[in-house]
Amino acid sequence: MLDYVPGKTAWYEDNQPREGKAVDEIWIGDVAGSDVPTCSLTEPIGDIRRRTEGWDTCVVVDSKGIVVGLLRKKELDADPRATAEQVMRPGPKTFRPNVTLQELLKSMRDHEIQTNSLVTTAEGRLLGVISRADAEATLAHEQAAPTGTDS
Amino acid sequence: MAAQVFSVSEVKQLLDQGAQLVDVLGEDEFEHDHLPGAINIPLKQLDATTASRLDRGRPVLVYCNDFG
Repeated sequence: MLDYVPGKTAWYEDNQPREGKAVDEIWIGDVAGSDVPTCSLTEPIGDIRRRTEGWDTCVVVDSKGIVVGLLRKKELDADPRATAEQVMRPGPKTFRPNVTLQELLKSMRDHEIQTNSLVTTAEGRLLGVISRADAEATLAHEQAAPTGTDS
Repeated sequence: MAAQVFSVSEVKQLLDQGAQLVDVLGEDEFEHDHLPGAINIPLKQLDATTASRLDRGRPVLVYCNDFG
């Protein structure tokens, strides 16, 4: 007998399929986008701003890809000579990929998160982001779909 | 039991080779979600009788939620 120690959590973090009642749920790992810009702790804000033009979020990760901070528009507009570490919002709230869209939206509303939420593994490795607008729109679309369809 | 930190690809390989997947979480949790193809034998019910469902000739891969 072999023990798959990482278990369900690791399976879902790898975006693998599931069976059971939860196939009818929308998990944020199903819909999060993975193309969010990242930067290191030591990168100057001016360089990050040039590299992430058009984004209002940049995720600060360490050398192992673990999320350590977040830059939103205010931080991206900070002194261009400052490093990400100096201006970042440390320890941002993150969500696991098997959180449902409803649970995410409730948390975003409760914490007044208007922009992006981060999806990470339990260890904090970045998997993707989901914007509140996208979450609201996806859920509204799903709830508007006729029962019994998979659209 | 051999505790091993398998990767997802190693788990898939074992399943392709005929391994049986056993979810030892509770029935409610299993009904909500589980890995494809898994059978449920809750840990508290795991004994010789419940394990008799398993094919002794094939590897058995047991899982729960995570490292915790």
